[in-house]
Amino acid sequence: MQRTVNITRPKGLEDLLTPDLVARLGQLDITSRKVFSGKLKGERRSKRRGESVEFADHRPYVSGDDLRHIDWNIFARLDHLFLKLFLEEEDLSLQIIIDCSASHDCGEPNKFLFMQRLAASLGYIGLVNLNRVGITAIGAKEVEAEDGAKATGEGGQPEEVGLLSTLRDLRGRRRLSDLVRYLCTLEPIGTTRFTDACKKIAITRRGKGVMIILSDFFYKEGYETGLRLLKGHGYDLFAIQVLSPQEMEPNIGGDLRLKDVEDGDSAEVTISAPLLKKYRQILNAYCNRLHEFCAQRDIVHMTVKSDMGIDSLVMDYLRRRGLLR
Amino acid sequence: MTFATPWLAGIAAAIAIPTLIILYFLKLRRRDMEISTTLLWKKAIQDLQANAPFQKLRRNILLFLQLIALAIILFALAQPEFKDITLSNQRQVILIDCSASMSSLDGGEKGLENLNSDSGAKETRLEEAKRRAIAMVDQMKEPGLFQEKAEEAMVIAFNNSAEVRQAFTSNKTALKAAIEGIEPTDAPSGLERAITLAKAYSGTQKFEDQVQEDKGFVATSPPASIHLFSDGRLPDAERVQTEPTDNVVFHAVGSPEAPNVGITGLRAERAFDNPGKVSIFVGLQNTARQQRTVQVELLLDDTVVKVSEIPVAAASKAVQDAPSSDAGGAGEGGADPAAEEEEWNPGLGGTVYTIERAEGAIARVRLSMREADALTSDNVAYLVIPPARRLAVCLVTAGDFYIKPALDGMNLSRLDVLKPAEYQKLLDNDQLAQYDVAILDRWLPDVKASVPPPPPAPAPGDGTAPAAGSPAPAPPPVAPGGKRPGLPPGRSLVLGVVPPPPLGAVDEGETDTAFFAANSWDHPALRMAELGKVTIVKGRKVRILPETPVRDIATTTVGPGILEITDSDTLALVVVFDHTECDWGFNPGWVLFLAMATQYLSDASIGSAGVGLMGDAVRVGETLSTRLPVGAGSVRIGLPNNDRLSLEPGADNSVAYGPIVKTGIYTVSWEGQGTASDLEADGRVRRPIAANLLSPDESDVAARRRLAMAREVVSAQEQKEVQLTRKLWPWLLLGALGVVMFEWWVYNRKVML
Repeated sequence: MQRTVNITRPKGLEDLLTPDLVARLGQLDITSRKVFSGKLKGERRSKRRGESVEFADHRPYVSGDDLRHIDWNIFARLDHLFLKLFLEEEDLSLQIIIDCSASHDCGEPNKFLFMQRLAASLGYIGLVNLNRVGITAIGAKEVEAEDGAKATGEGGQPEEVGLLSTLRDLRGRRRLSDLVRYLCTLEPIGTTRFTDACKKIAITRRGKGVMIILSDFFYKEGYETGLRLLKGHGYDLFAIQVLSPQEMEPNIGGDLRLKDVEDGDSAEVTISAPLLKKYRQILNAYCNRLHEFCAQRDIVHMTVKSDMGIDSLVMDYLRRRGLLR
Repeated sequence: MTFATPWLAGIAAAIAIPTLIILYFLKLRRRDMEISTTLLWKKAIQDLQANAPFQKLRRNILLFLQLIALAIILFALAQPEFKDITLSNQRQVILIDCSASMSSLDGGEKGLENLNSDSGAKETRLEEAKRRAIAMVDQMKEPGLFQEKAEEAMVIAFNNSAEVRQAFTSNKTALKAAIEGIEPTDAPSGLERAITLAKAYSGTQKFEDQVQEDKGFVATSPPASIHLFSDGRLPDAERVQTEPTDNVVFHAVGSPEAPNVGITGLRAERAFDNPGKVSIFVGLQNTARQQRTVQVELLLDDTVVKVSEIPVAAASKAVQDAPSSDAGGAGEGGADPAAEEEEWNPGLGGTVYTIERAEGAIARVRLSMREADALTSDNVAYLVIPPARRLAVCLVTAGDFYIKPALDGMNLSRLDVLKPAEYQKLLDNDQLAQYDVAILDRWLPDVKASVPPPPPAPAPGDGTAPAAGSPAPAPPPVAPGGKRPGLPPGRSLVLGVVPPPPLGAVDEGETDTAFFAANSWDHPALRMAELGKVTIVKGRKVRILPETPVRDIATTTVGPGILEITDSDTLALVVVFDHTECDWGFNPGWVLFLAMATQYLSDASIGSAGVGLMGDAVRVGETLSTRLPVGAGSVRIGLPNNDRLSLEPGADNSVAYGPIVKTGIYTVSWEGQGTASDLEADGRVRRPIAANLLSPDESDVAARRRLAMAREVVSAQEQKEVQLTRKLWPWLLLGALGVVMFEWWVYNRKVML
């Protein structure tokens, strides 16, 4: 709940993922509940007819078709030209949205560090399975991305509100270093305007695929509009709500002036047992409301605690929840 | 409970309590804390504080504890104080009665039940008193945080005398050892000396304790509480004067219904006409509510010679005057139960044994009974019967008609009629030991004037003429050599002349006809004197000065008629009027008087005359004193427990030992010559002396629950409230500190209840 003191920011891959975890992540793949069209050849079945070895359908020959695809056996029998169609295999777009507002720089263990590790894990899984991986940081302050990555907003101008930065179309294991470098540059500062950020993403993002949102979803403006915009563009959405243990079970007491780290808003409280009880009730209601909202819109919502181990989360929990296989 | 400064506390409360609550509202001091979001907290606060403006204060244990601490501090500011009535003083005087009645076996809570049953451990009253006194010592407070001084106590053991066993100390071990060291005695009770001693100590305080800083000497010593552990059988309690500030606490022990049969009288007489015949009179007393039959044994030299069963009457309820206050006070809160304590008069009984015993003997009378008996020390009494002997009497007279013929009728070994000059010569040469009794007829020898003469007559004209009818006596003429007429040492019967004070009375001259108005019929010398028939033609008026060893045993219509004068070396009966000027000489009573008086004077022990015992005897509680012949050496006294002690004779050749605390036979022995009544064995002369209780007051063991003193009546376990206050504020501040510490613990524990 309180701002984490003496936090050590990750410097490289070894600070985010352990070698053992990396070895085990290679066996996983991202699951999509829908079939999307890809951009490049890949390992996913596409809606398009393509050149794979898997038969899909026949259609009448028209002038201009490749003669190599004519099914000569059919022609011999029926004396009509038919083309033999095969299924296409394309890549899958995996978009990870990470909330970089200051409210995530809290808790013990630190929520943002947890989100960085989780994003690195999911990104690595996407890269090794030849998916197109993109990471979008949402927040209020511009962060320069490293060279070679599209670390600027639309038109090359830095975003002041909403989108902080974006790293697009990483593909293949060799782009892991770009992914990690980008994640290590992110810092949780400022305030997130979630609705504006989602609107930007929805406008600028043309491809479809799996989108994972990592956030605590504590937005005073509300999360409903933003999620609705994203869902409206046909993404297969996964909302992972990351909370610290202290947020779920506060361990504070006395007469306090609570100060919001994002907007400086304050609340004077006298911690008492009824107040703590009421806080827990409101937190549960908030999470339940988010869950119901997501369920109604076919968004997978899951709440994880920042003290949860990354390996058990990825290898076990997310597989059970259908994000990974 | 009272408050010393209630207004101060009220003003402080009016200011402090609202201030504390306002501070809680203002919450001036809060700790800043950065958190991820205030979104949920604000909703929680809004929900919680939606309805009640005092919601902040609800279930706030910190404020609650602070209010409690503040209330305690304000309470302490009012300086509450209360009267402590448990142990009302820091100084206690413990008086423990160790008289004979305290040896009764009815001590303890079930004392009477244990006494009446054969089983059960019996406890004496003294043991119970010691146990309760030790329990009280255990309850004495030690010095502590708020008590600078420990409580002090002192221990006094008393019977008819009082002794300080332990001076004021807070050392409980020493106090308990002093209490444990108190042994039972057979002496009678007396409270007056004990109270006097206790007050003498309780009123004193160390000088340095009374000097206060900046104030000098301040007598702040509170009066000590006097704790009396007794059965209430204190005959002189009515004479005890207490002050209003004295706090006497009576811890009663024993049962009011304790049964006891005891010997209260024992006397032996030889018949004057037959000295070999001895009559022994035994008086008994019963405090049981039923008649008792006791077996009385008479032992002579440890041989039972007589046994008889004697009925002793039951105790009877004493007739009490109805309290005058009851007439109109029927509805005034009821009567005090202690005031309704019943008084019972003991039943009496007795017997007379007549034996033929010409020789001397030690007689012992022993009681035995089947029923329970509370006190055993009064079931045995001792008597020394001297051998029968014929007396040697000298009659000093210038010529008399009545005396010599009367003495001739007595069985005397020797009767010498001396002229006054001859007697004076024997007296000057100290040769009077050959006579047992001297009868001085209207003459007194010159003796050494060792006492100051009576006060001189007032000078003429000073306005202080003596009262009419009591002219100042003329001082007796002083003979050459500092001598003047007076009583000689030894045993004398003086007729018709009055010795001057102090061993005598003031002669105020002759009067008209007089008669005997009252006499002591139980006095051995007067028992057959028939004084009621005597007409004195020329009476003589005498006046007994106070503080002189003179007792009036027969009173005439004009004043004392027959005196008994006793001193350490003198015993005399004095007939103040001239026997030739009355008709007594024609009466048989005159002869009997001379015989009985001569016998009495020869038998009674000098120094304890009036006891009425034949032979040497002393009462327990008194000092044993006897005069030895000239030349007695290596004097020892044998005690009843067979211990022996050496004694040193005084200038007059008398030895003293005491006070006697145990009954029994005390034997004074020496080397040298003895008198005719002394015994001889193993080359030493022995003089047995019997020490007996023989006290109706001590044998009446019915314990009392209230003690009537001269100025107040103290009931058992009741004590007056002493004006001592105990302040509560230090304890309250300590409690407030505890509450504040508890609040701090709650605050740091972060468990908000």
